[in-house]
Amino acid sequence: MDPESAALHARVRAFADGVAPAHDGFDRLALDIAEFQRQRSPGFARLVDSRGSLLDRVDDIPAVTADVFRVARVATYPPEADCVRFVTSGTTATPGTHPMRTTETYRHLALRAGEAALVSAWSGPRVVVALAPVPTVPLTSSLGFMMRVFMEAWDGRALARDPGGVPFDPLAPERWLASSAGVDINGLRRAAMVASERQEPLLVLATAFALVGLLDALAGAKLPAPKRTVVMVTGGFKGRSREVAPHELRVALAAAFRVPGEQIVGEYGMTELSSQLYEGTLPGGRLAGPAGLFMPPPWLRVTPVDPVTLHPVARGAPGIARFVDLGNVDSAVAVLTEDLVREHDGLVELVGRRRGATPRGCSLAFESLVAVDLGGAP
Amino acid sequence: MTAGGGDRSARIERLLAAARRIADPEDSVGRRARSVLPSSTGLSPAGVEYALVQCLETHPSPGELRALHASVTPVLRAHVLLSANVFVAAHRAIALALSSAAEVEVRASRREPEMAMLLHQASDGVFRLVEELAPLPSDHVWAYGHDATLRTLRGDLPAGVVLHAHGDGMGVAVLRAPTHCHGSHLAATARALAHDVVAFDQRGCLSPRLAIVVGDVDAARDFARALARELASLEETVPRGAMSDDELASQIWYRETLRFVAELFPAGRGAVTLDVAGGVLAVPPGGRIIHLIRAEDPAPVLERLRPVIAAVGVGGPPEVWEAVRAQAPRARVSAIGMMQRPKLDGPVDRRPDPAGEVL
Repeated sequence: MDPESAALHARVRAFADGVAPAHDGFDRLALDIAEFQRQRSPGFARLVDSRGSLLDRVDDIPAVTADVFRVARVATYPPEADCVRFVTSGTTATPGTHPMRTTETYRHLALRAGEAALVSAWSGPRVVVALAPVPTVPLTSSLGFMMRVFMEAWDGRALARDPGGVPFDPLAPERWLASSAGVDINGLRRAAMVASERQEPLLVLATAFALVGLLDALAGAKLPAPKRTVVMVTGGFKGRSREVAPHELRVALAAAFRVPGEQIVGEYGMTELSSQLYEGTLPGGRLAGPAGLFMPPPWLRVTPVDPVTLHPVARGAPGIARFVDLGNVDSAVAVLTEDLVREHDGLVELVGRRRGATPRGCSLAFESLVAVDLGGAP
Repeated sequence: MTAGGGDRSARIERLLAAARRIADPEDSVGRRARSVLPSSTGLSPAGVEYALVQCLETHPSPGELRALHASVTPVLRAHVLLSANVFVAAHRAIALALSSAAEVEVRASRREPEMAMLLHQASDGVFRLVEELAPLPSDHVWAYGHDATLRTLRGDLPAGVVLHAHGDGMGVAVLRAPTHCHGSHLAATARALAHDVVAFDQRGCLSPRLAIVVGDVDAARDFARALARELASLEETVPRGAMSDDELASQIWYRETLRFVAELFPAGRGAVTLDVAGGVLAVPPGGRIIHLIRAEDPAPVLERLRPVIAAVGVGGPPEVWEAVRAQAPRARVSAIGMMQRPKLDGPVDRRPDPAGEVL
């Protein structure tokens, strides 16, 4: 592995662990990663040159749009060194790809953020299941990867009342409880009962549309979940289920799992990033914040910017989200999305998606942007 | 009057006379057009003038008119649903309906109603302007707009109506840029393409959004630079019109995306982007931004784009024209520089079935 990349990865992990030297703060790391990317990514170098940026201020790091991940390879190294290629799950014709040459930092950061938001209220092992399909081989879903990491780190045992002697299988079907056929309610009941019998917490990792499917299938029935159950809700509906407002979903899930609504915790992530944001609602957890507001971890900075000027908007005004993600060492440290957000004292409110320019008459929309070759040089 | 009978030539002539008055800056109707169209279209006053003088079809040849009549089926009643993107398109849309029927009802675009009103006024009401279309079974409806709008329309119209739906599409230019191309020839081709881009601020389905440049990398770069210069120069005389915040945001998003994956040449308030590797097919959002794709052979690119190509502008030797006609057989093909001046010889977009679609 490129020693400069490896060193940057190590510095980011140290920063996330809070053991980095004082001089190696967020800004220093972001600028060093940006300079590293400028030297190795011709596309990013063009962006830097076009702005005349000296890469001496974090705000001056040009952000790579999420669409670039759809039309080009965003990486500081050749494709042969990919260890994984995460692919976006959107409904657009051409998916985006985020290649990585190591998942070590991704894993480290995901666990750090997840621990604070989902786990820190109660110590000890817990039962972890996902309302998601069994990940594919090769792995292409960053969400599936994160779920698997959580299962390995916080559970790590076979899903049985007495797992002694049964090896842990992170891809065991009884742990991945959704498929094209729907949600496996019996599997979820079984996992809940195992957690209750072990007197352990239950962590359910799920997409919003899978949870709506669960609620529809339950039709008002309750699950035998332990009191220390946490449900992580991520993603939108993407046309795969009816849409339910976040508050309504929280109330319905709390009723179905028979837990307080604060134990339904929202997560926000995207394939183009290596870091996640969480709501800080879990009582007793290390994150504390109101429902509906997402807390970026210390290694992720979110700035709402004006979609025309790309400058930060006035405090409290909506803007498209500009992320500076230290986890993106080998891709794009600054990413621009079309998600509209508001910032509230360091917390992030998701407002929706930027309304695309309404194409007039028979003109085509930019959504038609397509890629021919994702394997070439950036 | 009989359905689509022998007096259809008279109806078309009344419409053409109206169009000529609108194009004439000395005529009272022409003056009114220049007064009201900038705000309803969003084009600059010079952009409106450019469209009226360069793009409005006022003097079709007898052969073109014969082709126009031959392109439609005589019926009792025809209805027209107009869109706002290219205001002069109202003229052709109504002409097609008048060629097919004596009784024509037109619903103007709510955003740009002025051109239809001007044609109505200046033609002494050769058609009726209505607030809502009310076609009966077997009537023909000529509808222009987004594919999504047309899908909705299909569900709303009564069974038995014959729909001529003209939806999303775009223009593509194909040109050969030989190495060591003579400077004046390069500039002339770039100037011609710039005119195609500038018309209607690229909002029409004939507007070129992409150009396939057949040639080597240096030639493609030379052409990109020349085109950027011509677009900037043309902006001096035909300024870009107003853009909504959403349109501007889409343009910024496109520029930021293409800066990473391609080369970007600023061109006044627009831009030229160039992919020398030929790997990125990006459709710019309009507003005078065009994406150039360098290719040794235009055929594979044209094949991928075929369903959305309404028009192709060609610059090059006969084999380039032949390649275009083979790959885009239903597109309207013209020389670069003439893409926005289609002959009044039938529907501007030849992709849909000319017989229409019986609902």
